[in-house]
Amino acid sequence: MSFIKILNEQEKQEIEKKLNEQFGINHIPGLIIQRGEERLFLFSGSFSEKDIKNLEKCAFIERMGVYFAKIIGNNIRLSIEGSQILKNQITKNIFELDSKQAEEWMMGRELGIKTGRHGFLIMKHGSDFLGTGKASENKIGNFIPKNRRLKEKG
Amino acid sequence: MRYEPKPLFLERMQKLLGKEFQEYLKVLEEPLQNSIRVNTLKISPEELLNRLKSKGWIIEQPFKDYPEIMIIKNDLAPGEIGRSLEHLLGYYYVQEIASMLPVLALKPGPGELVLDIAAAPGSKTTQIAAEMQNKGTIIANDVNLKRLKILASNLERCGATNAIITRRDGIALCKKLKDAGFLFDKILVDAPCSGEGTIRSSAVTLQMWNPNTIKSLSKLQKALLASALEILKPNGEIVYSTCTHAPEENEEVVDFVFKEFGNEVIIEKINLPIKCRLGLTGWDGREYSSEVKKSCRIYPQDNDTEGFFLAKLRKVK
Repeated sequence: MSFIKILNEQEKQEIEKKLNEQFGINHIPGLIIQRGEERLFLFSGSFSEKDIKNLEKCAFIERMGVYFAKIIGNNIRLSIEGSQILKNQITKNIFELDSKQAEEWMMGRELGIKTGRHGFLIMKHGSDFLGTGKASENKIGNFIPKNRRLKEKG
Repeated sequence: MRYEPKPLFLERMQKLLGKEFQEYLKVLEEPLQNSIRVNTLKISPEELLNRLKSKGWIIEQPFKDYPEIMIIKNDLAPGEIGRSLEHLLGYYYVQEIASMLPVLALKPGPGELVLDIAAAPGSKTTQIAAEMQNKGTIIANDVNLKRLKILASNLERCGATNAIITRRDGIALCKKLKDAGFLFDKILVDAPCSGEGTIRSSAVTLQMWNPNTIKSLSKLQKALLASALEILKPNGEIVYSTCTHAPEENEEVVDFVFKEFGNEVIIEKINLPIKCRLGLTGWDGREYSSEVKKSCRIYPQDNDTEGFFLAKLRKVK
């Protein structure tokens, strides 16, 4: 097998600690599955690790749960789903977008905004959580994947 | 219609529909309604309704008990429903109403273990995850790698965190699962089929239609449903569905497993919020058990949807 690695309790706690430092998140509600070096998936199902190992003997497991975060060096960047699933726990490093900025953001464009902050910010517009951006001196870098972007009007 | 129906197809449909045949042909020429299903894992029907109304969309909720099912009544630009912010954020799934029915019949619940044996592209899997509130486990299987990628993308957009995607031939998977001791509370066998019910959205089906394909699919469907029944828990339920009208792929399959499994399996009555016809008790010289009447035939002209077939079976031993 297996390119699927289920993080143990200690590894999960390390991810939770980083998410707490960055966004105030305390708890990931499920198993964390790591694929490759960076990509983290959240699985909320009732299958135990033993069940998963047994299932792997029956069929090739393509994916478990939902991609919710990516490890970038010492930091973690939440995907759109990560920010939506964990929205009730996110208490810091939130950047509120206005309607125009939210549209630009969802088109995949970087935003020329001086936030006065550096690092990853949760992008939010009204009740919508729109993933994570990376703030630097004069802009917020965009990570919206192509298949989730709004198309230009007209 | 861009493709001419083959004479044998028309003959069979006339035999199935009798005096309603012309009405059926007429509805095939009409475009399908634009229907969506609210992804309740991410947003409530009320909240989405208000958002879509504020965009100028005219929304109808045709079923009081299923507020998540919505029809968009106004004319929108081609592709507009799939390009909206709400769609990109996973707040709804574009899904034909008839295709929502198998999961309404299956009634998966939080905490259950559910197998979706031919899951791609994921319309029904995401609906199952929503019904289960992401609690319990779904094994979402398919054999086609290209279709699995679409399944994975849809499960992600909808935030279906309780699903595991597997890749294996369905019959082989059931055998392996049985050997490993897995038993499921609910199974959806939305079987590969000849697609006669999808002509309104995919007229090319008429060109591809072939009686030999129906025969070979029938054989495959019988093996698939029989394999799935082997891994159902006692008292567990299975929904068998197709998007075709061919009795060989529908009642004949249900009749086959009903007779094959003897008193281990019963066919259950299904309550759906749209007009359903009784299952047939015979076709082309073959007789089916009268119990097969509990199956549902859905014709496009009855509810202004696509055509569908579904049956629900319970394992009693």
